[in-house]
Amino acid sequence: MNFLAPAFLAGLAAIAVPVIIHLIHRERRVVVEFPSLMFLQRIPYRSVRRQKIRHLLLLLLRCVALALLVAAFARPFFERRRAALSTTGAREVVVLLDRSSSMGYADRWTKAKDAARKVVTGLSAGDRATLVLFANDASVASEPMATPDRIIAAINAAKLSAEGTRYGAALKLASQILAASTLPRREVVVITDFQKIGWANHNEIVFPRGTTVTPVDLGGASSSDVAVSQVTTDRDSTPQRDRVTVAARLINTSAATKAVAATLSIGGRDVQTQRAILPASGAQQVAFTPIAVPSGATKGVVHITPDSLTPDDVLNFTIAPDEAVPVLIVEPTNPRENQSLFLSRALAIGDRPSFRIDVKRVDALTPRDFDGRALVVLDEVAPPTGPVGARLRALIDGGGGLVVAPGGSRTETWPAEWRALLPAVGQTVDRTNDAGGTLSSVDYAHPIFEIFNAPRSGDFSTARFLRYRALTAQPGMTILARFDDGSPALVERLVGRGKLLTWASSLDSYWTNLPLQPVFLPFVHQLGKHAGRYADPRPWFTAGEVLDLSRHGELTAPFLSGRAADSTTELVLEAPSGQRERVTAGGPNHMITLREQGFYELRGRDTPVGSGRPIAVNVDPAESDLSHLDPQDMVAAVTAVNGQRQPGGDVFASTPQEQEQRQKVWWYLLLGALLLMGIETLLSNRLSKAMSP
Amino acid sequence: MTAPALPTISYLDPSVLARIGNLELLARTVVEGFINGLHRSPLLGASTDFAEHRAYMPGDDIRRIDWRLFARSDRHYVKEYEADTNTNFNVILDISPSMRYGASADDGRPSKLTYACYLAACLTYFSSLQRDRVALATIDHDIVDYVPPSAKHLQLILHTLDRVDRKGRDAKVTPGRSTLLAPLRKLSETMRRRSFVVLISDFYEDPDQVIDALSHLRGRGNDLIVFHLLDPRELNFSFSDASNFIDMETGDKMPIIPEYLRQQYRELVREHTAALAKRIGESRADYSVFDTSKPLDRALFAFLSARQRFNRVR
Repeated sequence: MNFLAPAFLAGLAAIAVPVIIHLIHRERRVVVEFPSLMFLQRIPYRSVRRQKIRHLLLLLLRCVALALLVAAFARPFFERRRAALSTTGAREVVVLLDRSSSMGYADRWTKAKDAARKVVTGLSAGDRATLVLFANDASVASEPMATPDRIIAAINAAKLSAEGTRYGAALKLASQILAASTLPRREVVVITDFQKIGWANHNEIVFPRGTTVTPVDLGGASSSDVAVSQVTTDRDSTPQRDRVTVAARLINTSAATKAVAATLSIGGRDVQTQRAILPASGAQQVAFTPIAVPSGATKGVVHITPDSLTPDDVLNFTIAPDEAVPVLIVEPTNPRENQSLFLSRALAIGDRPSFRIDVKRVDALTPRDFDGRALVVLDEVAPPTGPVGARLRALIDGGGGLVVAPGGSRTETWPAEWRALLPAVGQTVDRTNDAGGTLSSVDYAHPIFEIFNAPRSGDFSTARFLRYRALTAQPGMTILARFDDGSPALVERLVGRGKLLTWASSLDSYWTNLPLQPVFLPFVHQLGKHAGRYADPRPWFTAGEVLDLSRHGELTAPFLSGRAADSTTELVLEAPSGQRERVTAGGPNHMITLREQGFYELRGRDTPVGSGRPIAVNVDPAESDLSHLDPQDMVAAVTAVNGQRQPGGDVFASTPQEQEQRQKVWWYLLLGALLLMGIETLLSNRLSKAMSP
Repeated sequence: MTAPALPTISYLDPSVLARIGNLELLARTVVEGFINGLHRSPLLGASTDFAEHRAYMPGDDIRRIDWRLFARSDRHYVKEYEADTNTNFNVILDISPSMRYGASADDGRPSKLTYACYLAACLTYFSSLQRDRVALATIDHDIVDYVPPSAKHLQLILHTLDRVDRKGRDAKVTPGRSTLLAPLRKLSETMRRRSFVVLISDFYEDPDQVIDALSHLRGRGNDLIVFHLLDPRELNFSFSDASNFIDMETGDKMPIIPEYLRQQYRELVREHTAALAKRIGESRADYSVFDTSKPLDRALFAFLSARQRFNRVR
């Protein structure tokens, strides 16, 4: 037995403590004044018995408990001296099989599986093997105790993935398997194309000492590939037409010039084909002629002539019609002149996103006016009641946004159910006498204001607020901005899935000159995007990426509007392979890992197959970079100890720290010590009671 | 000597009495409460008026001749009253260092010295009610304080006891061997009248030496009551932890494991008290062992019984 911290053994001297207590200390610790020792002195000198050890069991318990405690601190472990690496002894073999997209190059995948089968068939009796499949992440495909037949079955069943390559996860998993092994010989077989892009030197991943790493290199220095690495869609929207220009970026990693034909398919139909000459190790942009934007979200594909690595010869994307944020501005029955002009004009500028704005008088509102709205602005209007109010409330609960600017309206007459949701609106603060108030405190961490955080990114201090309503935030509300007198300027409250924002001043120049300031435009855009739950639409995702449906309302919105919106409404996501998964927009199971290349289809439970929202998924563009890593670099990194390379695997044993950590003997010693101390306490209490008069 | 059972008088509990700062008040509380209790006792009967007739002796005041008896018997007898039978009542209090033992803050139990002061105060007050001449002597290895007998010395005695008690509580114990022989011999020489002597001590001396010391008192015809005060821990030796024991009298130290010596110690104490009881009884004195945790009424009752017995004998 060895000790990791032998210095603690000096603590064994503490064993003397109970002996001292037994022999000396206990008798001398108390001084008692007694009237006379006349009688005691007549008694034969019995106090000599203090020299004898009493209650041997008690003493023994204390000593053993202390010894165990000291031993636990010294971190003992049983050193397992293994035989030198030789042909004798059972092996723990971990087969790391790369199934990333790049392994689809030529016949690499077939060769890889053959190599894996060869390793498994070469196992001797007593050997154990574990198959680990890895791409973006790693997973054990067969348990360590599996028979060779089952491992080979797992190899045969393994399929190529559309994901990228990351060696770190696989090496870490192999390290853990080996560290837990008790077999004398350990071996890792890495079967991969050693794609350089997947390797980052993980100094923290080091195999146990003596581990043999056998690389099976299926890559080659002369790999060549042409791929579609990027597609962009530029909108050209005019009142007369709505067109989109698709452009594809093609890359050539080979050392020779390549001539390729790139074809654009829309809705499954080839639309155009462009030819391009790609220079050696270069890239070229191919622009297709503009096409009309389809009426709904449509599948688009740019594919080139297939080469040795086919997955990256195709790039899928979706084209969706104008996904403008629908905004409804509600004005009072008798609005001021141009009351909503500043707001509507500011929102109308820009196309990322574009806002579709409708302005309506409050007396003309109907429940249907809220259908399909992402954002409603009550511009100095009391929240509606009755069916209109209920529809507005349902809109907010379902994820819509409501911006309320009370202005000079009499809020005390507002419906109680709305007043409960809004901050308390007090009297109008008149700052005309002191040249107006300013915004003194802004929460730059909030999405509305985060773009103003950087220097020279917008200055709110120049805006003057001559009048505003004194707001009082209620529990559950967040104050996003304050005036210089501390009064809240913008208050947010989450209601259901939606957001309710209250602006203390006016949205036009009646009470403030903010609409005349440069920051007004980005401010209302940010306000609209945030309240309207707008997320930049993604034309495609990368395989291995996690899709969070709660952050992509544009994907789920078509299946949630027109009904009682509920984030837990069940949707169906069908993978390109046909595998279906039940998901929700914001409830359970709203995050899904997209693993397959092609088009996923998201639809409601009642939506016919093929009518759902397509979601394009492509292989990781980085997989097209077939740059080769020297296998020895990886072997040296994972077998190094303290940065030093090990001498040829001569000793097959873990480090003392690893052995100690694995065995955890100190834990049992500590438990034993505690148990003995408990017994000692019980015993000594019992003895004390027995001895007391 | 075992006292008959008395009605429980809770305010005679030493721990309760220890809270009373004034000794006179304490003595009055104890004695009057005790007398009230005695009214229900079958042993009540002592009269303080007429005591006996004595034949007229020349020199007697002729006003004290009982003329009625002369008319009946034609002899001159002098009437003697209780007031005339009063004796000197001497309390001898041992204030040696060992008497300071026993004060316990936990249960409010007083030290042996405090208990002895209470006892002395009560007995003195009691005797003062009987119009005895009261006296006090505190002794160590010699006489420390002496208040001569007088019917007017109650307050002086109480004051002396109070001072002794306070000094015993406050002063640090300085070891010093004390003996009864020297001070008792001196005291006996000062007693010119036959007296009633109460000796209060813890008697950490050999019984032979004690008897030798007491013989000087008894030799003068004094009536003697011996109160042997012991703390409960002196009786039971109820210590649990092994400790260094220091003799308060001599300063000697001795490492002791109480559980091993307890039995022998109790045996020796029992033998000591038995020897004292036997030897003191043989010298026609009255001897009582008192546990300082027990109420004072036992001591008062023992005193009263002894006094009655001595009266009958006289």
